[in-house]
Amino acid sequence: MAVRVSRRAFSVLAVAALLAVALLPSAGRPTRAASPLVLRLGTTTQIQSLNPWQIVEEEDYEVMTLNYDVLVGWGPDLEPAAGFAESWTRSTDGKTWTFKIRDGMKWSDGQPATAEDARWTMQFQLDQLKKDGTVGDGYLDVYPQAAGVTSVSAPDPTTLVVTTNLPNSLILTSYVPILPEHVWSKLDPKAATTSFQNPAPIVGTGPYQVVEYKPGEYVRLARNPYYRGQQGAADEILMTYFSSPDTMVQALKKGDVDYARGVPAAQFDQLKKDADPHITAVEGVSNTFYELAFNCYDKPIPGGGASTTALADPAFRDALGYAIDKQALVDKIFGGHAAVGDTQLTPQMAEWHTSPPADQLRTFSIETANQKLLAAGYPLDASGRRLDKDGKPISLRLNWPGASEEAKAAQLIQAWFAQLGIKTTAAAVESAKLAQLILPPEADPPGKAQFDLFIWDWVGDTDPYSLLKVLISKEIGASSDSNWSNPQYDQLYDQQLAATSDTDRKAIIDQMQLLFYQQAPYHVLWYPTNLDAYRTDRFGGWRNQPTKTGVPFFGFGSANYTLLTDANAPTPSPTASGAAPPPTTPAASASPATPGSGGETGGGVPVALVVGGVGLVAVIAGILLLMRRRTGPDEEE
Amino acid sequence: MRGGYLLTKVTQAVITIFLLVLLNFVLFRMMPGSPERVLGRNPNVSAAALEATRERWGLDKPVLPDQFVAYLAATAQGDLGYSFFYRGLPVVDVLSDRIWPTVILFGLGELIAIVVGIALGAYSGWRRGGAVDHIGNGVSLILYSMPYFLLGMGLLLVFAVWLGWFPVYGMFTPGATYDSILDQTVDFLWHLALPLATVALGLIGQYSIVMRSSIVDTLGEDYVTTARAKGLHDRRVLRKHALPNAMLPMATLIAINLGFVIAGAITVEVVFNWPGLGTLTVQALETRDYPLLQGIFLLLSVSVVLANLVADLLYQFLDPRVKA
Repeated sequence: MAVRVSRRAFSVLAVAALLAVALLPSAGRPTRAASPLVLRLGTTTQIQSLNPWQIVEEEDYEVMTLNYDVLVGWGPDLEPAAGFAESWTRSTDGKTWTFKIRDGMKWSDGQPATAEDARWTMQFQLDQLKKDGTVGDGYLDVYPQAAGVTSVSAPDPTTLVVTTNLPNSLILTSYVPILPEHVWSKLDPKAATTSFQNPAPIVGTGPYQVVEYKPGEYVRLARNPYYRGQQGAADEILMTYFSSPDTMVQALKKGDVDYARGVPAAQFDQLKKDADPHITAVEGVSNTFYELAFNCYDKPIPGGGASTTALADPAFRDALGYAIDKQALVDKIFGGHAAVGDTQLTPQMAEWHTSPPADQLRTFSIETANQKLLAAGYPLDASGRRLDKDGKPISLRLNWPGASEEAKAAQLIQAWFAQLGIKTTAAAVESAKLAQLILPPEADPPGKAQFDLFIWDWVGDTDPYSLLKVLISKEIGASSDSNWSNPQYDQLYDQQLAATSDTDRKAIIDQMQLLFYQQAPYHVLWYPTNLDAYRTDRFGGWRNQPTKTGVPFFGFGSANYTLLTDANAPTPSPTASGAAPPPTTPAASASPATPGSGGETGGGVPVALVVGGVGLVAVIAGILLLMRRRTGPDEEE
Repeated sequence: MRGGYLLTKVTQAVITIFLLVLLNFVLFRMMPGSPERVLGRNPNVSAAALEATRERWGLDKPVLPDQFVAYLAATAQGDLGYSFFYRGLPVVDVLSDRIWPTVILFGLGELIAIVVGIALGAYSGWRRGGAVDHIGNGVSLILYSMPYFLLGMGLLLVFAVWLGWFPVYGMFTPGATYDSILDQTVDFLWHLALPLATVALGLIGQYSIVMRSSIVDTLGEDYVTTARAKGLHDRRVLRKHALPNAMLPMATLIAINLGFVIAGAITVEVVFNWPGLGTLTVQALETRDYPLLQGIFLLLSVSVVLANLVADLLYQFLDPRVKA
């Protein structure tokens, strides 16, 4: 006999069933067919572009070096290592470089990758630079210029010859990717460097190529079957952008991401304390410094310029340096997760960075600062205000581009300067506005350099020249933001670019750092550290770069991705995906899978969305109908 | 006079949208600074590069009339320009991927909240002082006063991190391949559950409180007393006499809410990293992406105007007096 279910009971059941389907974990988990092994990265900075000529963020560079090889790559400690070129030799005058390109190397689409591709890419950049003065809006213009590249040729498929007019070795640290001529030469040169999006699937020689990209969401890369070297265990890499670092850390804890980049300091300490055996939290040196910059512009600007002539006086800037407790900044703002700053070269450039000798380092002392100010001719007036040489009380404007660390630093600096009788008006300014305020009359369009102090940061290359360059006189009106001009520094800058040996160059760069520290156009406040964390239950083989002081990813090049092993592989055997196949041998399979064939995640998304949405709407509509019918005929009059 | 009412409302909506388009232009030109300078904060940038950038984005031309005319013409053709941040990716391409996730999340959230909120509110009001009223009202107040991000973070911590029943973020399992569209749909629903619950719970509180007080108001009305005096069944009095009148403020509230929901969307989406318009708005704001912000604001404001137009048109069915 059939059981009668009342309508009310039925609708309750229907709701319960809906909830069960939607909520029960066992029912909700998707069944997946042999899914690829995916390395899931979380970042809190978005990818801006896949076009190498347009990239800006470190995340962009990470994706770029996964897609493409640069001519000479980076080793575990950032030393030059095999890249697109296998090896190289240098002529005795130091100006001609001969690169050996691997025989039989292939692009990810199976086409041969030869010295001709390298020649084409480098020639393309040189031609564009000559024509427009720039290639795209990215940061790649400087590399051939700094290395002094004059001509490139490819006498045979495995030989590339580069001629320079400077005897330096900067050609070895170029960040310019080698692009496939058979793809890029078909594009209009102007469009190729600007509007071209470089859509997936990308063709490159790097270990992984982008097969799917959703701006502001994620980028998905698949293993390159033709990669020249060791294959990483991950079949795919998924780099997801998180608007909230908290969510990213929760996802890491739960195991929904394998690597979290940029963990907030408090959570980083918590991760360390939790000591989850599957999570490794690692603090690495970065290539960034934050500075308190002075407006050193030394000529009067009608209606603009600094509020006092004191800022153009090195003695005044030096004295203020004693009133900044850098250790307190590091402790109070970063909970100790940063390093005290001194020169314009970052700790990541350990081989170039030289701290001033101990007796020249400024140690925090309001007393010393006071004495130095008096000695330099800046007395206090009767009401305790510091006067400049025109007898005017010094009142400084202090700006920063909106970030909270900078705001905290500004607050502390304001309090220290107040103890010197110097009033500071602190205000966050939108970054584009600040960049505009800084512009001096030399800029195009001309500005008025209407600022006194600001806190901002710079990020460097592996080579120090770009961070040295922002302080030369020629850059006033361009990248210089302190408007500092020092002929001795300018001369040293040119000398180090022309130095023939690293030892000679290092000696010059040491002088530049000391001069910078003494003259203090900036007080370098702190070097931030990279706080990253990764899980070890799905992947093994993690290596830091630099090995002793770095973090595994988002450094230089993509070698660390190829070292990862599958932590759950039964036993590490030579045929397992984690182990190294001989170089230049495509993956053992007979017919190499084309990147991008991995699943229907791409095309199916909107369909699933619509099906899911329509399904839910239908269920809800059904419930509504049921509820309506409840007032059925028995209740009609 | 129905045709006249319709015409008036549609004309009003068109004028409003035109004014929004104007405002959108003015607002974004009034912002401080010049975006290409941020691109230019680069030790490698040259004056030529800056000039080229300005030219590409039309910033080298005077604001009036050149930039304005170009903007109007392009907007009319559905061309919202190119994103600054995404290096020249068309704004329409960026937006199009982000609309559906938000529409589904908030469309469904609204729908669930309307059904459950109205039912809960009506029942509490009708059985004023009962157990459901006491508990329902208390819970509604808590839900209503709780910010979305707090509610969302709470649900995320309990159901995703501690219990591990749901994924922490996103719309699909990263890197998953699916045997069928059904599998994929299930995966989607599994990811949707927590953000949807957050949205729905937040709105249920609001709707049930308004519905309850609205029902309570009608209880003292003469027509309810009359209906009862006629000897109608209690439930019938509620459904046919009290509810339709109590629904009027709800219709207004829901229509107005469609606009505010987007503001709520921002925090819910950020908490669950849901790839919708909310997270996109935050991203565009962080990066000063004028064209993208312009596109988002235009889309949102136009949809609010349209939602209100629909509400106005519905109103004449709910309340016959409107037509008069």
